[in-house]
Amino acid sequence: MRNGKALLKQTAMAAACTFCLIIWGAGPGQASELEATDSGAPSAKVMFPVSAKATAPVASMKPVLFNHLIHEKAVEKCETCHHTGDPAACSDCHSAEGKEEGKFITLEKAMHAKNIAVREDGKTPSSCVSCHEQQTAKRECAGCHSTISPSYDAAWCSTCHNVNVTPQQMADGANGRLSEAANLAVATKTVQETKRAASPATLGPAKAIIDAIANEYEPCVFNHKRHMASLMENIKDSKLAAAFHTQPETLCATCHHHSPLSLTPPKCVSCHPVAIDRMQPARPQLKAAYHLQCMGCHKGMDVKRPVNTSCTSCHKAKAPAAEAPAEAAEK
Amino acid sequence: MNRRKFLTFMGTAGVVSALGTAKVAKAGVETFPYYDNGYGVLHDMTRCIGCRKCEEGCNKANKLPAPEKPFSDLSVLDKRRRTTPTAWTVVNKWDMGEGKFAFRKQQCFHCNDPACASACFTKCYQKQPNGAVIYDGSQCVGCRYCMVACPFYVPSFEYGEPFDPVIKKCTFCFDRLKEGKLPGCVESCTMDALTFGRRKDLIKIARKRIEAEPEKYLDYVYGEHDAGGTAWMVLMPKPKDLPQCSTGNAAEAKDAAKRAGLDTTLGNQPMAEYTYGALGAVPMIIAFWPVLFGGAYGMTKRREAIAKANLAKATAEEKQKVMDAVVKVIEKEQGAEAAEKARQQMNEALAEADAPKTDGEAN
Repeated sequence: MRNGKALLKQTAMAAACTFCLIIWGAGPGQASELEATDSGAPSAKVMFPVSAKATAPVASMKPVLFNHLIHEKAVEKCETCHHTGDPAACSDCHSAEGKEEGKFITLEKAMHAKNIAVREDGKTPSSCVSCHEQQTAKRECAGCHSTISPSYDAAWCSTCHNVNVTPQQMADGANGRLSEAANLAVATKTVQETKRAASPATLGPAKAIIDAIANEYEPCVFNHKRHMASLMENIKDSKLAAAFHTQPETLCATCHHHSPLSLTPPKCVSCHPVAIDRMQPARPQLKAAYHLQCMGCHKGMDVKRPVNTSCTSCHKAKAPAAEAPAEAAEK
Repeated sequence: MNRRKFLTFMGTAGVVSALGTAKVAKAGVETFPYYDNGYGVLHDMTRCIGCRKCEEGCNKANKLPAPEKPFSDLSVLDKRRRTTPTAWTVVNKWDMGEGKFAFRKQQCFHCNDPACASACFTKCYQKQPNGAVIYDGSQCVGCRYCMVACPFYVPSFEYGEPFDPVIKKCTFCFDRLKEGKLPGCVESCTMDALTFGRRKDLIKIARKRIEAEPEKYLDYVYGEHDAGGTAWMVLMPKPKDLPQCSTGNAAEAKDAAKRAGLDTTLGNQPMAEYTYGALGAVPMIIAFWPVLFGGAYGMTKRREAIAKANLAKATAEEKQKVMDAVVKVIEKEQGAEAAEKARQQMNEALAEADAPKTDGEAN
């Protein structure tokens, strides 16, 4: 066999390459698949509840993935997060129990604190939650986010606390023994496996006729589709919105609030009575529910027109035939 | 009754009445009964858009005459308005600073312990168990003391009415409440800026709203304690340029509330209590002063009468003495017969001299 050697060599090389690739793919080498950061920091990092205690928390909330790359692009300077000016890891100073270096501010506080007191030297730190909540004050977000506030429940926590790790990795991470390479490997896997929520399957009816209590005015013709399309257009480039609007129906939940996420939510009148409910005097009546919802969002998004008191912009005045006798009576 | 007995009696009466007054003062807010289950309305200024639908609702519910300008004309909001006999509620626009405006509906606050009722001496005003302060003009004399007494400038007098003008003010739609309906303004509110409910529930609702959005609201429920507490209460937006006040701190909320036209310096005491001590003494004065001064007058009169009687007695004795002396001299010189005759004649002359005097007195 004249070419036997070469074939054997090629086969051996292919086998070696496959083997190497398998080893490489399984190991930390895959990190190179994430885009590198400008600062040289790891592109993504799993943040463990680092503890100084000998008995590291084996069972704990899932750790959080921090995508350094996306955040680096979103903020102006490193000091936004690395508030001391030293690009150290958060857990260097803020451990689960608090350390002297971090003024005994625990990791939990450092990540979740809201209403952070302004520091005199101008180096006011911000936590994940405080910064993200500030972002929702932007005009395109404020419509929904000024009228609703998140219910701080399990679903809210698991939006960030979602990294799957083995108990061994958890223990190593909490002790600070997990190597950077291994951390990056888990982080990369999580980034690659995280899927973005799809858009809602439907934008709802093009025209929703709101006529349940039409009395003084004609029924209101509400362009549901246009409102949805406009909201989605506003946030289509927002990575923050993409990360936190975890369900296709999340966007529906501002108006169709307090009920489980669904593409077929219950009608407003299901909960908002036409006349005051004696047992629930604080619950807005149907008329007010509509007005509060529409005007609240328009105010948050700084929609200039129609002004709140322009009644006939949304529901036309009743046909003059019906109005004439009333006017005559007045005169 | 002698002087000593009288003074003892008056002294006891004085102590007893003083004790009685002290008891009333100690009783505190009991000047009018407080109805725990009364209704109220919570006005949330942050929801109000100034559409004037409440004014229209009030007008219709109470069958008031149509206003000069229609309710759809919002230009009236540019001017500060007061309630009038034909507009029992008005919405005003208030500058909350930094170009932010808020609207506040003005009407009777239906105080727990109303100043108007305490000022009215014909009992036209009554606090009802359902929370309403209602006015019945049948006894009204038109003194307008209630207008002076009201810290919110609410009662309005029918100055345009030439015959029998009375006070007009918000009735909390008393008759509608009895029928189980909402007040006209609450029913027509498009934003539920007016929430109807039991007063004690409304305070909880207000607290919850402040807690949910601490940046939006001033941490002060106007009317919870102001002027002794009112059935209608107001939640105000927190002006952006002013610091948040500590919960329910009237002194700290003063500047912010002033921008919404609300006065937090009225104090927590019902207006009526400021005058109750002084006015409570009036019945005592009416009851005891006639006895006191009547007694003093009586004593003086009696003393005068005794002095007069003594004087008359002394005069008579003196006269008798003189007469006896004269008669004795006559007896000695002219005999007993002449003496008897002289005595008779002198007695007659004296009686004659006294007679015109008694006639004069009789006249």
